[in-house]
Amino acid sequence: MQKKSKKAKFGLYLAVVVVLIFVLFPVYYMVSVSFRTQSSMFMNPSFLPVDLVLKNYRAAFESEQFRISLRNSLMIGSVTTTVGLFFSIFAAYSLTILRYRGRDTFGRVIIVAFLTPGALLFIPIAVIAARLKISDTLQGLMLIYLSFVVPLGTYLLIGFFRNLVGELEEAARIDGASRLQALWYILLPLISPGIASVGILTFTACWNEYLYALVLNPSPEFRTLPVAITFLQTADETPISLIMAYSTIAAVPILILFFIGQRFIVEGLQTGAVKG
Amino acid sequence: MFTGNTKKNRSRVKLQDSLLGYATIFPATFVLIGFFGYPLFYEVYASFTNKTVGEAGNWVGLANYSYLIHDPTFRTASLNTIIYVTCVQSGKFLLGLSVALLLQQQIKGRNIWRALVLVPYALPGFVAYAVWRLIYNPDVGALNIFLMQIGVIDSPIAFLSNPEWAMPSVILATIWKGFPFWTIMFLAALQSVPKELHEAAATDGCNAVQRFRNVSLPGIRPVILIVFMISTITTINSFEAIWLTTGGGPGSATTILPIFAYKSLTAFQIGQSAAAALALVPVLFLLVFFVMKRLNKDK
Repeated sequence: MQKKSKKAKFGLYLAVVVVLIFVLFPVYYMVSVSFRTQSSMFMNPSFLPVDLVLKNYRAAFESEQFRISLRNSLMIGSVTTTVGLFFSIFAAYSLTILRYRGRDTFGRVIIVAFLTPGALLFIPIAVIAARLKISDTLQGLMLIYLSFVVPLGTYLLIGFFRNLVGELEEAARIDGASRLQALWYILLPLISPGIASVGILTFTACWNEYLYALVLNPSPEFRTLPVAITFLQTADETPISLIMAYSTIAAVPILILFFIGQRFIVEGLQTGAVKG
Repeated sequence: MFTGNTKKNRSRVKLQDSLLGYATIFPATFVLIGFFGYPLFYEVYASFTNKTVGEAGNWVGLANYSYLIHDPTFRTASLNTIIYVTCVQSGKFLLGLSVALLLQQQIKGRNIWRALVLVPYALPGFVAYAVWRLIYNPDVGALNIFLMQIGVIDSPIAFLSNPEWAMPSVILATIWKGFPFWTIMFLAALQSVPKELHEAAATDGCNAVQRFRNVSLPGIRPVILIVFMISTITTINSFEAIWLTTGGGPGSATTILPIFAYKSLTAFQIGQSAAAALALVPVLFLLVFFVMKRLNKDK
């Protein structure tokens, strides 16, 4: 590789700095405002967290609505992720390792479902949920989220299963392991990066979902975090710094999860799209 | 005797495989029939009725669709969807590719920068758009403060409630949230282009631009296609990006089709909102068709 001139090198680093400011400023600004008071924001337009007060965080954790919503979001995210992982692992296993009539059709349906965006179906699902009496329940949202995350998980895991050498499973079976034993003891450990990736993406998708939570669970007891934040704003008042404190609290677990699992997530996404 | 035995054995294994196959695909199928297949079917049916909340409604044929075609708001929403998606996708592509090329260079701390660029993608959408709404705020928002301090403007601009600024502002926020996904994908694809090809091209006297056009670009074309199609499907349906910033306003300046459908639903017009949601299906169908063709080819 040829050596770059000093000037070119400087331009390169300058570009990196500009990109990073663009990417990170909104996040910094959110945290900064969450430590300010509403009135001082109007009096002192500054990007720095000049007041450094904790009162927004205190107000959040003292609010019953906030605690309920946090619990709802955690419950829905963890239950859906666990069940969704089981369903996706089984489905991806079925679609790659086993052979049976109609397998390709099942595979195609999964991909179409994966590509179908949620905004297409919220109207009929709202009607159906009302009829089944599962709107304004946690179980209702869990079921509906399952229908989003299972196609996503299956699609991504198919990529991981396909990368395994087929003979590996056959070798295990010759040694006398049953199909399910081979899945549990041989295949699952090998696709564990895929499982981590799907787990994180699934939990994130449930935690972030807004439209269905808004349409189906508007009652205070069943609101998830994003809906609770929406309801902070009333016709006469927008508590800006409080909203930013809620937002920071909602974002931190996801950001941590993402950076712990970054390697797996990136691998998962790339296995899905690049290798197809 | 011996061969007969293995034959029997083999067909038994085959049967077992089939049974296990159906058993393991069943949970996923069950969920998808209930919350994908049936709702889709029901939505198509409802779009031909005048159903409202609480009332069954009657068959009205194509009345909802012809009503929509003549509804100026629906037309605006369709046009807005096209503008919004085109701009957002071009922006994500350009920014995603440029940043990928930048972070592919040999610079210090490259892995850290690559991780940090992912932040917008990792940030929950409802958080990201709440922050952008604040950034655009005319009284206390960072963008107005910044522009006034450097003297570009004299008085604050109400970015989200000004009919001319609302759409570009929402587009910028959506690009910010979405471009890192393209960057990750492009980085992976660029890495899969063999280094030797670049070196060979360099010794043949190609400059950086020529090398990009003739070596990198063909190598990442399949990824560009699939990322473009998947990302277009999600962008057409960005509900929260708009609902949480402008709510579709001012007037209907930023109303795209999912917002239109949501507003019809909150007006209890189920038949009409179903028809509005389905208006996207032809485009989605084309995109899905191409993605599937692409995926099958790669197999």
